[in-house]
Amino acid sequence: MLRKLLKHEFRATGRIMLPLFLILLATSVGANLSIRGMLDTDNRFLNILGSLLIVAFVVAVIGVCVMSMVVMVQRFYKNLLQDEGYVMMTLPVSTHQHIWSKLIVSAVWFALTILIVCLACLIMAADVTVIGEIVSGCQDLFRHVTAYYAINGTAIVAEFLVMCFVGCCAMCLQFYASLAIGHSFPNHKMAWSVGWFFIIQFAVQFLGGLLIALLDESWLHHLLLGWTVGWNISGMAAMHLSMILMILGELFYGAVFYFLTTYFLKRRLNLE
Amino acid sequence: MAVLECKDLCKNYGRAAALDHVSFAVEPGHIVGLLGPNGSGKTTLIKLANGLLTPTSGEILVCDTAPGKATHAWVSYLPERTSIPTWMTTTQLLDFYQDFYADFRRDAAEEMLQHLNIQPRQRVKQMSKGTREKVQLIMVMSRAAKLYLLDEPIGGVDPATRDYILSTIIGNYNPEAAVVISTHLISDVEKVLDEVIFINQGRMVLQASVDQIREEKGMSVDELFREVFKC
Amino acid sequence: MKWQFSNDAPIYAQLIEQIKVGIVSGAFPPGERLPSVRDLATEAGVNPNTMQRALAELERDGLVYSQRTTGRFVTEDKTMIETAKRSLAERHVKTFLAAMLRLGFQREEIMTLLRQETGEEGEFHGGSGV
Repeated sequence: MLRKLLKHEFRATGRIMLPLFLILLATSVGANLSIRGMLDTDNRFLNILGSLLIVAFVVAVIGVCVMSMVVMVQRFYKNLLQDEGYVMMTLPVSTHQHIWSKLIVSAVWFALTILIVCLACLIMAADVTVIGEIVSGCQDLFRHVTAYYAINGTAIVAEFLVMCFVGCCAMCLQFYASLAIGHSFPNHKMAWSVGWFFIIQFAVQFLGGLLIALLDESWLHHLLLGWTVGWNISGMAAMHLSMILMILGELFYGAVFYFLTTYFLKRRLNLE
Repeated sequence: MAVLECKDLCKNYGRAAALDHVSFAVEPGHIVGLLGPNGSGKTTLIKLANGLLTPTSGEILVCDTAPGKATHAWVSYLPERTSIPTWMTTTQLLDFYQDFYADFRRDAAEEMLQHLNIQPRQRVKQMSKGTREKVQLIMVMSRAAKLYLLDEPIGGVDPATRDYILSTIIGNYNPEAAVVISTHLISDVEKVLDEVIFINQGRMVLQASVDQIREEKGMSVDELFREVFKC
Repeated sequence: MKWQFSNDAPIYAQLIEQIKVGIVSGAFPPGERLPSVRDLATEAGVNPNTMQRALAELERDGLVYSQRTTGRFVTEDKTMIETAKRSLAERHVKTFLAAMLRLGFQREEIMTLLRQETGEEGEFHGGSGV
């Protein structure tokens, strides 16, 4: 059933996201033309058109990034908590499958958005030689990083990407949880949702701050200090460790939001 | 075995009781009218049976199972408001129902849609309000379900559409299934009902067969309703 | 066939009555197969169970019979249809008479009125002219 949910979820979101991607790619071609010719000529008309094309490209990049988040949050809200919820919440699928389908589809679109934005930037950057330069530059960078820190630079990049990805999913779940909680109220559902989003945000920051304050004096801190100073472990290992800890922290938040969302959709659902 | 059963069912919204110790059972093969004035708790009861709300106390069971993933496969539900996704085309809507419900009779649905002259590529968004309601009813009645829960299927439509809706229900429901129709327009549905349940202010007032009421009281259900719920 | 229902009698009883009229009037000719329960119910806009009950009752009376695989048929027994026709007619006459008596007509007056209405007698003597 999850597969079928995903299929219809992609159908529903694809009809918005794919045209957005196409627009972005089109503006990137425009920007490319602008950089290659229009800006350098003496023709004022072409100059203005060229700079407009560049502006359009920048707007499109920002627009696609913002829209991908908006579309995913709005999809959850419209599909499960508005009128369509009557159809969706009475399908023979579990609440878990509903949330997972929304989350997976969002994650895929987030990843695709990053990919398409990169692609659009490459297209805009005109020559194929530039792409080659960027690739070799990256290789250089990795080599230097690897050489300098004597550790695998790609691992750090991978960890960073995973962190971003998990962070996006956790963010998504935070939106889902606040919407689910807000819509369990009989009136002013949207106002409650926004309110709960900030309450959750505050709680997360408060707990995070508290945790750091506690850790400062705790055994873990000493342990870490012991590792880095006493046992003379490199700073790089500490970096790895903190990356992994951050990913775990995000996973933990995500899990909490996930269970909040499930509980409120299952037990406290209150469609209008 | 009862298809739908309530045991001492209560539902409160805050302090207000929407349903107050309701108990009844609906047997397979029966068409039951859930009748009561506006705000008497009909929709709450149907939402509880669909797992869209959770009981405050007591139990509601569909084929001896609490509402959830399993019962959703047996229940075909027509909500009070039109809720089919508006961005879909008719074909996509058919795909959707076929994907999720093993008991969906696509050919029956296609035939009914064709009868109404609805094009396969037409989007729900482009349809009139009345047509959307008919399309959703067609989807709901094209399933060979064990229980049909129809919330106000004839509220707010013209008399010709009312006839169309009622004949679609009679002509398509699975004879081994039970049908529960909630409405306050009693004279229109009276002829299609086996049995009626009256509820008022969240309490069950009466459960009886239509012919029994006519035989024993010498009046139609509509007349009895007006007498029971006299303001 | 046109189906109409009143509020005072059970629906299955009204169905029996109307199917009988259908058989007697030839809308359902002798020996002909009846539509299925569901089709009849949809046409009349009534509950299929109620239609089923009415047909079962008619079957008990012998006006229709069922063959296990092919469905229900109207009886071919003309005398039985004739009897049904007669009993329907008698009931109508009885209701008519009861209504006339309530209006205060005497037997003779009723007969005169009837003859006048059916064109057997040209003149009308007395009565309240309702």
